[in-house]
Amino acid sequence: MRRRGIVMLAIAAVTASVAMSGCSSGGGETPAGTTTVTFWQQKFEDYQQAWFKKYVDQFNASQSKVKVDYQVVPGDTWAQKLKAAQAAGKAPDIATTNYGNVSPGVAQGQFASLDELLPAEKFDDIKGNVKPFVTIGGKHYAYPMLVEPSTVLYYRTDLVTAAGLDPASPPKSWDELIVWATKLTQGAVKGMTIASAAPDLGWSSWGLQYNACGRLPVNDDWSKAAAMDPCYEKLLGLYKTLYANGLIPKQPKVGYADGAPYGQGEVAMMAGGSWVIGQLKNDFKAMIPKTAVAPFPSFDGSTGKTTATLGGWTLTVDAKSKAKQQAAEFIKYLLAGDPAIMADFFKTSGFSKYTVRSSVDLALASNPDASADPFMKIISEKVVPFGKAEPAYPWDISLAFGTAIESAMKGSADIPTSLKTADAAINDVIKKQSLAGTAPK
Amino acid sequence: MTVLESGIATAAKPAADGLAERRVAGHRRDNRTAYLMIAPMVILLTIFVIWPLVYSVYLSTFKISFYEEPEFVGLQFYQYVLESPRFWSSIWVGLYYALLTVPTGIVIGLLLASFIKMLSKRAAAFMKTTIYLPAVVSTVVASVLFVFMYQDEGVINWLLSLLNYAPVNWLNDPSFALPAIAVPGIWLGFGITTLILLAGLLDIPEGYYESAQLDGAGFFQRLFHITIPLLRNVLLYLLVTGFTLAIQLFDLPLIMTGGGPVDATMTPNLFIFTSFRDLTPYATSFSLTASLMLFLVLGAISLVIFRLVNSDKAIDG
Repeated sequence: MRRRGIVMLAIAAVTASVAMSGCSSGGGETPAGTTTVTFWQQKFEDYQQAWFKKYVDQFNASQSKVKVDYQVVPGDTWAQKLKAAQAAGKAPDIATTNYGNVSPGVAQGQFASLDELLPAEKFDDIKGNVKPFVTIGGKHYAYPMLVEPSTVLYYRTDLVTAAGLDPASPPKSWDELIVWATKLTQGAVKGMTIASAAPDLGWSSWGLQYNACGRLPVNDDWSKAAAMDPCYEKLLGLYKTLYANGLIPKQPKVGYADGAPYGQGEVAMMAGGSWVIGQLKNDFKAMIPKTAVAPFPSFDGSTGKTTATLGGWTLTVDAKSKAKQQAAEFIKYLLAGDPAIMADFFKTSGFSKYTVRSSVDLALASNPDASADPFMKIISEKVVPFGKAEPAYPWDISLAFGTAIESAMKGSADIPTSLKTADAAINDVIKKQSLAGTAPK
Repeated sequence: MTVLESGIATAAKPAADGLAERRVAGHRRDNRTAYLMIAPMVILLTIFVIWPLVYSVYLSTFKISFYEEPEFVGLQFYQYVLESPRFWSSIWVGLYYALLTVPTGIVIGLLLASFIKMLSKRAAAFMKTTIYLPAVVSTVVASVLFVFMYQDEGVINWLLSLLNYAPVNWLNDPSFALPAIAVPGIWLGFGITTLILLAGLLDIPEGYYESAQLDGAGFFQRLFHITIPLLRNVLLYLLVTGFTLAIQLFDLPLIMTGGGPVDATMTPNLFIFTSFRDLTPYATSFSLTASLMLFLVLGAISLVIFRLVNSDKAIDG
């Protein structure tokens, strides 16, 4: 009986150690000479997962030296899962990283420089306005995949016409936007939808912060908050009016990034990222003929000003990876290789995202769908050229400003008090995280 | 002392010594058995509680980085947490939630337990099962259900619309959000509270009530002079466990509101969790230190309530 117990204990110990070794996600070489690299992709729209899987499988089948272990991680568990893996020394060799996290990651020594891992000509192909997003101190720490404007105005042409408005002449100023939203609020259909919770407002309002004040609420070298600049009062006033007048849903069922309320006909207009085009084309096809897009209105009605930041995703290699070169081989294949691969991605996305490589532009130039897409034409000509990069400062600063907008919207405090609170919170972040003078140049 | 007595005494001394030795030996054996029996728990506690706690305190004196050498900062992060308005606001949110749910749950539980006590055996068994049912519902499921119920088109606003009060912005208005979350919180917890109180009620001898009735005591007199004093231990237990659990609420606001609007439902654990999710070394150290501070706050609250327990010995029914 005792011997049986010991045997059971030994089996349990072996099973546990095998299971624990299976948890390892670092690069490792198998006896056959194949190096396995782990790749974590943050979960996006379903078609993106299908696209990634297709090309991971093709890469794995095309050679036998590197095997990519592809894992999809939901966005709401991404941060804690990645941190836990980093703490255990098991961070993925390759990970999706947004532009805003490249600079802070480099400051922490999180990413490997790609200059030593990829041929120099691969960086020459990256468009000039995107290169600074991934370049820190003259080195490239991420390979860009796409850019997507964070804020575009979508509107229902049929409802606009029914309300006596001209769909060919969308609102240009915030005052006009409020007039449109008021006229389009009919019964259960609200005039529009826009972010209304601090975590969404923190990032989706970056473009409008630029529009209102020509800057973000912190000075250029990150040494002092600038949230009390009176120009931000107009921005908070816009959000407050939309919320207080019942022009947007007061209890939104989904976050800013999800265009479902527009797709389901619950609102007549929507402030949304360019990615919503892909969602409409895939999930709400009937809405496409009734939809038009326009640059989001500016505070004074002038055109050619920033109303959106250019967000987007890159692939990075972990600084502690034991298989950096092999990880870079996969990035070279997927993002920097045959332009047809990325062209396929943009086609799959319904041209709702924008290229970062000149060679991919050329590959798409011959695609009649791309040149004929009305949404792509407006966004690429009227929004993307004026888009700014996402800020690289810590998220706490964006959240403090997002909280100020939410606070003013929902009446927790008046607009000046909300901005004052945000200003103090941002200065606190600057002090405690020693940010002064650390802004990337 | 006579010779006989002296002889008895001489004979009795070794016998008494032997008895004492046997007693001491027995006592030692008892001690050894007791130590052996508590050893597994002490070892497990040391591995899973005491050591992690000590190591956490050690780590909290560093700015933790997973890629660079951690920087020793002493007690700096304790100062940061103590100065953080969001940390203190989250403690108040936790206390407010506890105040909303714990006394309400106890009152509802007491009323239901009193009602069940009056029922026949079969009806009581049915009621106990029905009341306990919410306790086995997953918090996630309950959260999603209540989110649907609170929507503009949800059943609650539909009922209010019959009175011309709808729609109320339950989950997106800073003044309504926490009470709106407290409702599923009470619903999930009152089953267990009721059963515990029912057990306490059934322990009170029926004769007390009969005597009181003969003396002309009404319902409220019986409640305040018999039931509540004799349930004191049970009520204090429910208060202690209820408060510490309520302040640590995490899943309901995570799913229903994400801590918003404007941090109105940002409970301490949710605040620590959201702080941890930021990918900076500052966030890692800050959330770790905030967890330790929360441990102290919870300890202090428990201490206050335990003092209350000790200050007034329960009356044994």
